[in-house]
Amino acid sequence: MATNASPTAGAGPAIVTRDLTRTFTTGRRRERRTVDAVRGISLSIEAGERVAFIGPNGAGKSTSIKMLTGILHPTSGTAQVDGLVPWHDRRRLAGRIGTLFGQRSQLWPELPSRAAYDMLAAVHGIDDRTAAGRVDELGELLGATELFDQPVRTLSLGQRMRCELAAALLHEPGILLLDEPSIGLDLVAKRRFRDLLVSLNRERGTTIFLTSHDVADIEIVADRTIIVNHGRIIVDDTVESLRRTLLASKRIEVGLHHRIDPTCIELLGTTVTEATHTRISLDVDTSATPVRDVIDALLDRLPVADLTVVDPPLEDVIADAYGDSE
Amino acid sequence: MSATAVERPARVPDGMRRELAGRVGRAAWRAGRAELRKNLANPGGLVVSGLFLLVVAGMLAALWSAAAEANGGAVAGYTAAALVWYVTISEITTISQRMQFIDELGDDIGSGRVETALLRPVPMVVLLWAAQVGGALPRLAACCLGGLPLAAVIAGAPPSWPAAALAIPATLLAVTINITGQHVFAAAAFWLRNARATWFVYQKLVFVLGGMLLPLEVLPDWLESIAQWLPFMAMAYVPARLAAGYVEPELLFVQAFWLVALATIAIIVFARGERRLVEAGA
Amino acid sequence: MNTLRGLRRTWFGAIANSWANRRSFWSQAAVMILNDLIWVVFWVIFFDRLGEVRGWELRDVLVLQAILATGAGITLGFFNNSRQLGRLIAEGQLDEALALPVPALPYLLVRRIEPINIGDVAFGVAVFAVMGEPTPLRTLAFVAAVAISAITLGAFLVLAGSTAFLGGRSDGSELGFHSVVLFASYPVDVFGGAMKILLFTMIPAGFITAIPTRFVRDLEIELAMAAAGVAILLVALAALAFRAGLRRYTSGALWTAA
Repeated sequence: MATNASPTAGAGPAIVTRDLTRTFTTGRRRERRTVDAVRGISLSIEAGERVAFIGPNGAGKSTSIKMLTGILHPTSGTAQVDGLVPWHDRRRLAGRIGTLFGQRSQLWPELPSRAAYDMLAAVHGIDDRTAAGRVDELGELLGATELFDQPVRTLSLGQRMRCELAAALLHEPGILLLDEPSIGLDLVAKRRFRDLLVSLNRERGTTIFLTSHDVADIEIVADRTIIVNHGRIIVDDTVESLRRTLLASKRIEVGLHHRIDPTCIELLGTTVTEATHTRISLDVDTSATPVRDVIDALLDRLPVADLTVVDPPLEDVIADAYGDSE
Repeated sequence: MSATAVERPARVPDGMRRELAGRVGRAAWRAGRAELRKNLANPGGLVVSGLFLLVVAGMLAALWSAAAEANGGAVAGYTAAALVWYVTISEITTISQRMQFIDELGDDIGSGRVETALLRPVPMVVLLWAAQVGGALPRLAACCLGGLPLAAVIAGAPPSWPAAALAIPATLLAVTINITGQHVFAAAAFWLRNARATWFVYQKLVFVLGGMLLPLEVLPDWLESIAQWLPFMAMAYVPARLAAGYVEPELLFVQAFWLVALATIAIIVFARGERRLVEAGA
Repeated sequence: MNTLRGLRRTWFGAIANSWANRRSFWSQAAVMILNDLIWVVFWVIFFDRLGEVRGWELRDVLVLQAILATGAGITLGFFNNSRQLGRLIAEGQLDEALALPVPALPYLLVRRIEPINIGDVAFGVAVFAVMGEPTPLRTLAFVAAVAISAITLGAFLVLAGSTAFLGGRSDGSELGFHSVVLFASYPVDVFGGAMKILLFTMIPAGFITAIPTRFVRDLEIELAMAAAGVAILLVALAALAFRAGLRRYTSGALWTAA
């Protein structure tokens, strides 16, 4: 299928910033405080990449994406999105990028999504016949065709997000910017949404730029990850290499039926981080030992009552990254 | 009697009753005080109330002054100065009310938030009422600060100092009665989901039949007779009439009557509503 | 022109959205009609007692109420964000409009419909039909008066709302809305000199009801032209104020860290 990549594909990066900085001054007179929300972010994203922009709350993600969409001017620094400077050409850019911000909705609650698509088609200057064709394609791509005819307020959050995604893609933007799109979705819906983003990128070559504080977004959606903290980029690397370094750790929490002697859990590639009489926490270095093997060994040897595998918290990942990069 | 009927609680012995009353009284006092403090801590809101009163009372004063002038100096026996004092006081007693109360109660009932209030050992209506009364006092003060100087500047001193003295307790009673009346109407939220319409109706009844917009004597005779028998007149007309210079202390007794009557109705209606909520789940 | 097409579709979509829940729509409209009716009752009682006050009779005041209800009903009912603008700005909710390739202010204005005010429209038209002596000429005048009234009110509300760009609070907007509607509902001649000047300048209530009412009564074209001129001026001012304010908004001067 022909890729509908942005018109400037090949003519330069899809998104490029240099020393993008944003400072806020708050409070009046004597209580004036300066907040450095974004401090000199420089990045370059090629057309067709899938990038996750990860950081804890307050790291500057939303501020950055506001600058990239042109609704906020930077204090200093430059940026170009699809060849345009966002805050100079906001409306023109709006016709070339798609945005999906978790809290905002393009859809009318009492009406089916199609009503909003009609409106957006008119707003973007797409004639109705072309628009109808695109809506059908999007319905197939997102598996949402039957959803388009139901009143939006009758849809579950996951279903609604798929309809919002269709709204963001109606004008066939080459770049899709998403700000925390999977907040509030249950695990199944999150998984499905992430898979959709990947197939969108594969079938149409749409550049995906996604902010999140969920590490799983790195693993499933992105082929490249930028980690920010305190307004600065800490890590900018492919997911592949991250898997080998930062993400190469899982934590297993085991609840036991009765006490055991902790020393009997000697497993290669694991570190016991916590051991009470009935609970054990293990960190697994997944580059050394697959989690599956560790689980099998635990189930064999221990009186396991329950077992959970968790990602290390993002804060730990970032703390590690921060420690590494210093 | 069906198997699911609620059992009547056993009769409460007298000593315990006194203690319960004391507890309820204290809880109500605290609820009222908390709300009062909360409103005092928001001076911006009070300033807005005061300004708003200034504007509305000023407009009505202008209207009725012009009316008196066009009518040979008085309307229904009220001179222009008396009319200015009338509308100022009638506005003060009504603007200190908070419009959103009925809306909020409706929301709380609809969303189920009211259930936590039902779990407390003190009747919900008492706490609500105490909170509203406590909260209204700072607003009342702000409105007085705005309105009384305005009336004095436009119309001079109150037409009768003894009557004005009576107007003070009458105003406090009027605000309290209005709040009690609102509780009666608000209880409709236990039955209707959208109680907002009842608020509009209530407000308009106070405006016209309560004598807020115009002295009851201006109404056509048949309407005036009806209005004199309704509780709304105790909410605006009574203090306003006293402020306008009519020494009629019997009006205070009328207010006392309505306070008791409305309070009784409110307690009954709330009890019914709560029972409905508990039995039927709204 | 796809901007117009887009705005038209947005507006129709908003109307369809509020029309979809029929029961809620009508019950809200009915509440407003009841509300307006009480005011009519008040004025009827007032003028029944007094006959005429400073050149105003019952019919004049009722025509005023009709113009106000219809004009304000149109602005607040069909372009409700004119009233919400201050709040939208203070809460940072303009972003949705900024993400589209259409001019932000027109888009915002057509985006929200408020059924409760549509009741006002029905009421205003009914009052004029019953009490306003609707000869064909006068009806035409009424339509013009309503248009001028609605535009003047809308422009003033946008101006008042744009004050939120300065301080990030919606208080100016709220105050502006309540005061203009309040002042516009009274016959302006009851107010004294200083007040009257205020009502023809800073809070243009005089141009929203008083002048249009007199125009409908006396059918003097100069009145309509004066009021129309003021309306156009206010629209220009409002557009400029919004544009300047939007520049301030996007420059981030309003916010704390996102």
